[in-house]
Amino acid sequence: MQDTQAIRQLVLRGRRRDAIFAIIGLICMMIGILTLAVLLAGLIQDGAHRLNWSFFENFPSRRAHQAGILSAIVGSSLVMLITAATAIPFGIGAGIYLEEYARRGWVTNLIEVNVTNLAGVPSIIYGLLALSVFVYMLDFGQSILSAGLTLALMILPVIIVSTREAIRAIPVSIREAAYGVGATRWQLVRDHILPYSAGGILTGVIIGLARAIGETAPIITIGALTFIAFLPASPITGDFPFISFEWLESPFTVMPIQMFNWLSRPQAAFQENAAAAGLVLVVMTLVMNGTAIWLRIRFRKRIKW
Amino acid sequence: MTLNKNDLRRHLSGQFNAELDAIIGQVQSMGRLVLDQLRDALKALELNDGELAVQVIARDAEVNQLELGLDEACRDMLVQRQPAAGDLRLVFAVIKVVMDIERMGDLAKRVAKAALESSGAPQRQFGSTIATLGASVLALSEKALAAFVAFDGVAAAAIKQEDRLIDERCKAITADLQSFIAEQPEATGGALQLIWAARSLERFGDHAKNVAEYIFYAVYGKELRHMSDEERAQWVAAA
Amino acid sequence: MVEQNNMDMSIRIAHKDAATTASTSPSTTLKAEVKGLDFWYGDNQALKNINMRIDESRVTALIGPSGCGKSTYLRCFNRMHDLQDNTRYGGEILFQPDGVNILARSVDPIEVRMRIGMVFQKPNPFPKSIFENVAYGLRVRGQKNRSEIADRVEQALREASIWDEVRERLEDMAFNLSGGQQQRLCIARALATEPELLLFDEPTSALDPNATANIEDLIHRLKEKVTILIVTHNMQQAARVSDYTAFMYLGELIEFGATRGVFTNPAKKQTEDYITGRYG
Repeated sequence: MQDTQAIRQLVLRGRRRDAIFAIIGLICMMIGILTLAVLLAGLIQDGAHRLNWSFFENFPSRRAHQAGILSAIVGSSLVMLITAATAIPFGIGAGIYLEEYARRGWVTNLIEVNVTNLAGVPSIIYGLLALSVFVYMLDFGQSILSAGLTLALMILPVIIVSTREAIRAIPVSIREAAYGVGATRWQLVRDHILPYSAGGILTGVIIGLARAIGETAPIITIGALTFIAFLPASPITGDFPFISFEWLESPFTVMPIQMFNWLSRPQAAFQENAAAAGLVLVVMTLVMNGTAIWLRIRFRKRIKW
Repeated sequence: MTLNKNDLRRHLSGQFNAELDAIIGQVQSMGRLVLDQLRDALKALELNDGELAVQVIARDAEVNQLELGLDEACRDMLVQRQPAAGDLRLVFAVIKVVMDIERMGDLAKRVAKAALESSGAPQRQFGSTIATLGASVLALSEKALAAFVAFDGVAAAAIKQEDRLIDERCKAITADLQSFIAEQPEATGGALQLIWAARSLERFGDHAKNVAEYIFYAVYGKELRHMSDEERAQWVAAA
Repeated sequence: MVEQNNMDMSIRIAHKDAATTASTSPSTTLKAEVKGLDFWYGDNQALKNINMRIDESRVTALIGPSGCGKSTYLRCFNRMHDLQDNTRYGGEILFQPDGVNILARSVDPIEVRMRIGMVFQKPNPFPKSIFENVAYGLRVRGQKNRSEIADRVEQALREASIWDEVRERLEDMAFNLSGGQQQRLCIARALATEPELLLFDEPTSALDPNATANIEDLIHRLKEKVTILIVTHNMQQAARVSDYTAFMYLGELIEFGATRGVFTNPAKKQTEDYITGRYG
């Protein structure tokens, strides 16, 4: 016969500990969330009144109230375009190769460890690498192309790792099913691996791009300008062949650098500009991350293992 | 694969072993009871002991009860254990053998009834012959039952031969009794009872032979029933 | 040796006819002959010198305790082990009627899998529609003709006894089917490409008794059309569905014979001990 009283006592003690831990966890979470909220509130307070159409339409100016972020937004967008165009195919390709094709061995293991480590390398190191390779060795100059490639290099490990994770989530039984009916490796990748891992891969891609868009250090290292009062050459031209790649070589600025520039000015009005630009940047990042979450949920709903 | 009695207790499931043991034990006690019944019936016939004969007739219900118990045990075994290979052959043999033993019980009862109703001249003239026949049948049946309980396929094969001799002797006794009836028609009633008794003994022996055949099947997985004498001899020699 | 990279049905049918006339015995035709089969995972020998004949249009069951190598053996037939590094085959499996050694290095495993279908332990439909699941094998073989694909899909679903349950919902996701239906769908997927040999790897171990009975009935009906090799840990199932039974233990083929004989009077003590549940 057990002692009911003793059991109750024991349960009570356990419950109390449960409650204590729940409170500690809640406090930890609130500290993180509140800090972010205060930060965001500060930005809004400082910069919200500067957000109007002219802020988006104007080039930077010596007069704070006339200054805008047009060249920074265009620069960021074009750099992202290059980053996405290079990092996505290379990252997914490398991920698929490592997961599906590469034989297990010490070489693969070495590559694996390095890829994971690369994801943790400080971004300024990428900037140094890019400066010597892209800017000088390959002579791309201090251009949009160099910046895009630098950021691509930086987020490549993120995309590779998330691609591999997504592929690994596909059960072996699906692979066996495809091979079982006589599929080749490529047919397996095309018809099954890619479609079923698309959600995970896209999530990784977007998180990588969201990181890249806010990145400052490597861009400064390769020499982005802080004051750009013109737009790169349009990719579409009136003359044959109507498409131009001149913009690739154009000098540029990006959002975080524009912010940095304004922040370094003593005038309060410029600080407000910086806050407004920061707000825009935060919203852009949030939208990207939101998309990533939405994609993940959508794909999860469609595929059950 | 020859079934060995030791194999019965080697199942991973101890419960299974116990159940098989129990079934074999039940067959043994049912067989003993039936042999006792025949022994008593023969004694009643020989000594003209009506009381003993009545006892035998009454005790047949006990045999039937044992049959029901064994049937249930075998059904449980099939549904719970789904026996295979040697186990399957054994359970299958038990199911068949139980029917034979039950029939043997009925035949013992039949002999007891003959003991109640036979009397006078036929009894004096043929009593000892039938008693001898009865003793042979008893001996044969004891061997068959022993072979079954011991999983002794070789002994089982030998029983088949013995049964043939009993059949022949029974035929001779029947013929003698028939000519007796022709000579002394007034004793027809008593003589017919003796013919019945002899027939019952012969059939008792047949069922005992079946018991031997089924254990042979359980042990070797071969049908003794349809084997030629040479084949049987070969098997026995090989075993 | 006939190199058969393309699944040309007319050639296949011609082969089948030739095989029937060249039959070794009047009642059965040899579909595959296993000669001295060895298999290694690295240094670990998983299969040792297996010799066996597989008859056409018959069901052959592989039984044995866990780890005896029955699944490993089954997977040799469609070269599934090629997907893993560090595995090695020895001996040969001669696939009839053309006598190709399907283990030979020169024979592409894809070619082997085009002729030999497989149904797995856990139903593993693709996260696609019911129709696409069955059509996939045809698409892999480059079949483009839509009406022909539709016909073959229907035929395969009928053969797998699931057509009546899914005819109204071919575009539904396969995951919406019950476990038993999914497994029959997987059988249909394998049947759509008209394999000569169908491998079943414990096909009912994840299913309830009703679904199991359905699959067993299906196997019984299918053997008219296709030779079947089935691994099962359920001995009663082997006794119910198979014509021949092979008992394996520690990577070796201990006993192989007609199912009735193996289950009522096995020749080897190890077999007897296994199927009656005794200590080895």
